[in-house]
Amino acid sequence: MEFKLEAHRIVSISLGKIYNSRVQRGGIKLHKNLLVSLVLRSARQVYLSDPCPGLYLAGPTGTPAVPPPQQPGEPVAGPPSGWGEPPPPAGRAAWPEPEPPPQRPMVCHTPGAGSSEPVTSVAGAGDALRGGETDSAAAACCPPAREEQPVGDGSPAPPAPCPRKRGAAGVGGGRAGCPAPGSTPLKKPRRNSEEQPSTTDEDTDEEMETGNVANLISIFGSSFSGLLRKSPAGGREEEEAEESGPEAAEPGQICCDKPVLRDMSPWSTAIVAF
Amino acid sequence: DIISTVEFNHTGELLATGDKGGRVVIFQREPESKNAPHSQGEYDVYSTFQSHEPEFDYLKSLEIEEKINKIKWLPQQNAAHSLLSTNDKTIKLWKITERDKRPEGYNLKDEEGKLKDLSTVTSLQPMDLMVEVSPRRIFANGHTYHINSISVNSDCETYMSADDLRINLWHLAITDRSFNIVDIKPANMEDLTEVITASEFHPHHCNLFVYSSSKGSLRLCDMRAAALCDKHSKLFEEPEDPSNRSFFSEIISSVSDVKFSHSGRYMLTRDYLTVKVWDLNMEARPIETYQVHDYLRSKLCSLYESDCIFDKFECAWNGSDSVIMTGAYNNFFRMFDRNTKRDVTLEASRESSKPRAVLKPRRVCVGGKRRRDDISVDSLDFTKKILHTAWHPAENIIAIAATNNLYIFQDKVNSDMH
Repeated sequence: MEFKLEAHRIVSISLGKIYNSRVQRGGIKLHKNLLVSLVLRSARQVYLSDPCPGLYLAGPTGTPAVPPPQQPGEPVAGPPSGWGEPPPPAGRAAWPEPEPPPQRPMVCHTPGAGSSEPVTSVAGAGDALRGGETDSAAAACCPPAREEQPVGDGSPAPPAPCPRKRGAAGVGGGRAGCPAPGSTPLKKPRRNSEEQPSTTDEDTDEEMETGNVANLISIFGSSFSGLLRKSPAGGREEEEAEESGPEAAEPGQICCDKPVLRDMSPWSTAIVAF
Repeated sequence: DIISTVEFNHTGELLATGDKGGRVVIFQREPESKNAPHSQGEYDVYSTFQSHEPEFDYLKSLEIEEKINKIKWLPQQNAAHSLLSTNDKTIKLWKITERDKRPEGYNLKDEEGKLKDLSTVTSLQPMDLMVEVSPRRIFANGHTYHINSISVNSDCETYMSADDLRINLWHLAITDRSFNIVDIKPANMEDLTEVITASEFHPHHCNLFVYSSSKGSLRLCDMRAAALCDKHSKLFEEPEDPSNRSFFSEIISSVSDVKFSHSGRYMLTRDYLTVKVWDLNMEARPIETYQVHDYLRSKLCSLYESDCIFDKFECAWNGSDSVIMTGAYNNFFRMFDRNTKRDVTLEASRESSKPRAVLKPRRVCVGGKRRRDDISVDSLDFTKKILHTAWHPAENIIAIAATNNLYIFQDKVNSDMH
C-alpha cells in the first residue's frame, strides 16, 4: 500500500516537473525530461502491479513499449472484469485525434456489469478521445453513461485545479480502464482541456485522486513522447506537421523534436506542459 | 553570478570560469616573487569578457540561454592564449592577447623645431598591461539539442561538441561546416531511451574519444573505424545491483561527467552517488568505485522532488592521476586517494577559507555516534552544491566553484605531486 501511495506521489511530482519544464528558460531539456519519464514509468509499473484492495487500477491498456507487469484484467482491487482488454501493441500510438465532438458515441465494451464507474470513467475517457479512437477498444464509452459522472472524487473539487487531472484521467481512463468503485468519477474532458492551460500544477498534483493518477499513469506509460507535447495552440497543426521533419520549425517551446502523438487527445492539449 | 564551469589551461597559469550570465573571467597566477614570499602564486583577475548573450530562436519560439556550459583551453601555440566557450547552441573561439607597449610620438619635429630622423619619430613605449579578447571564430548552427560538452583533440586542429543526441567534429579554422560523428537519435523519438551526457577526446590518441550516456554506460569510439561512430569500439557498463533498485535507479546511474586520466589509461566517471575509475582495457566493470555521499541513497525521493537529483557533478584528476576529486552538497567536496584508499571531505566556505587557513576535514554523520563537528545528513544545505571543480595540471592547486564564489586552494606543504 505504501508503495502505491509512494508511486502515486511520484507520478504527481513527475507530472509537475514536466509541466514546469515547458515554461522554463532555455527550452525543454531533453535529458531531464527523459529521466522524469523513466521515473514516471517505473512509478506507474509499481502502481499498477501492487495489488491493493480498495484501489482500482486503471490498467495499462494503452501501454506500449513497456508492458505492464499485470494485464488490466487481472484481479486488482476489483476492477470490473472485462473493462479493459490489453490493447494491441501499437495501441500506444493511438492517441485519439483532437476532433470536435466531445461527445462521441462509442461502443461500450465494458459490460455495464453493475458498476457504473468503469463505464463512466471509460466514458470520460472516450470524451477525451474525441475523434478517432483507433485501437483503444477499451476506451469505448457510452455517452449517456458519461452524464452520470459526478464531479471529483467524492469531493466537490473546484473546476480549476482539478480539471486537468480529470481530463487526464479521462483520457487515460478511456484507454486504460476504470476507476475502482468509489474512486473519482471523471469530469468532462472537454472542460478539462479548456481549463488546463491555466492551471498550475503543484497543488493540484497533490490533490490528484487515485483514479486520475492511474489513468495518467497509463497515458504516460505509453511512451516518452507522450510526455512532451507541443503547445496547445500549435498542437493540432503539429499533429499533422509532426512527420514533416522533427527539426523543422515547430511552434511551441520544444527545442528538440518531440514526437507528437499520432492522435492528439484533448487531454494532451490539457497537459499543456507536456 | 552563478559559476557554471571552471577550467585550468594546460600550464595552470590561467584559470577560466564561465557563469550563467554568459561571462568569462580569466584568472592569472602571479609569478612567485622573492620579495613577497607569502603571496606566491596567487590568482588574480586577468580578464573579463562577455562571451555569450541570450538569444531567441524565432523559428522555434525558444530562448537560448547564455549560460556558459563549458570552457576548454587550446594548447598555446604563440604568445596569445585561446579558448573555446560554449552555451547551449553556439561555440566561440576567443583569442586573448596582451598589449604592454604602445606607439608614441607623431611629431616630425622635436622641441627645437628640428626635423627628426624619420625612423625615430614613433617609438614603442611601455604601457599598463592591457588584455584584449576577441572572438575569432563562431561555430553556430551545429546543434539541434543542448550542447553539454566540448573537447579539443590532441591534434590541436579539431575539436568535438556533443549535445544530447549527436556529436560533431569541427576544425578550429572552419566555422561553416562540421562532421557528425555520433548520432543516437532514434528514427522514432518515441523510442528514445538514452541521451549523451558528456564526451571527451583521448589525451594522446587523436582518433579515440569517449562519450557517456544517461544509462550509465561509456562508449569508446575510434574515428578510424568509420565516418559515423555509432558503433562503439568498446562499451563500458556495469551491471546494475538489483538490491539497490528503486524508482530512481535510472536517474542516479546517469553519468554526469567523464574525464580521461592524464595518462590516457583510465577514465573517471561521476554519477549521482559515486565516482568510478575505469580501465580502458576492462569493459565489464570499473576498477574502482568511491562513494561520494551514499547517505543520500535513502533520500532520493525528496531529492527528486527538489530537483537535486538532477544535479550534474563534475569530477577531476590530479596531475599524477593518484587523487580524484568531486563536489557534493553543503559546499563540501571530496577527494579520494587511489593509492592509500583514504578519502577526505572538505568544505569551501568563507569561514573556513581565511587566507592561509588550513582546511579542516569535515564529516557527515549518518546516525550512530556523532562527533562534535559532524554535520548530520538532515542539516545539509542542498542549495549549496559544488558542481564544478578543477585541478591544476601539475601542482596541488584546486579551483572550487561554490555557486557564485570561486575558491582556490593550494597545498603549500606538498606542492609537488606525489
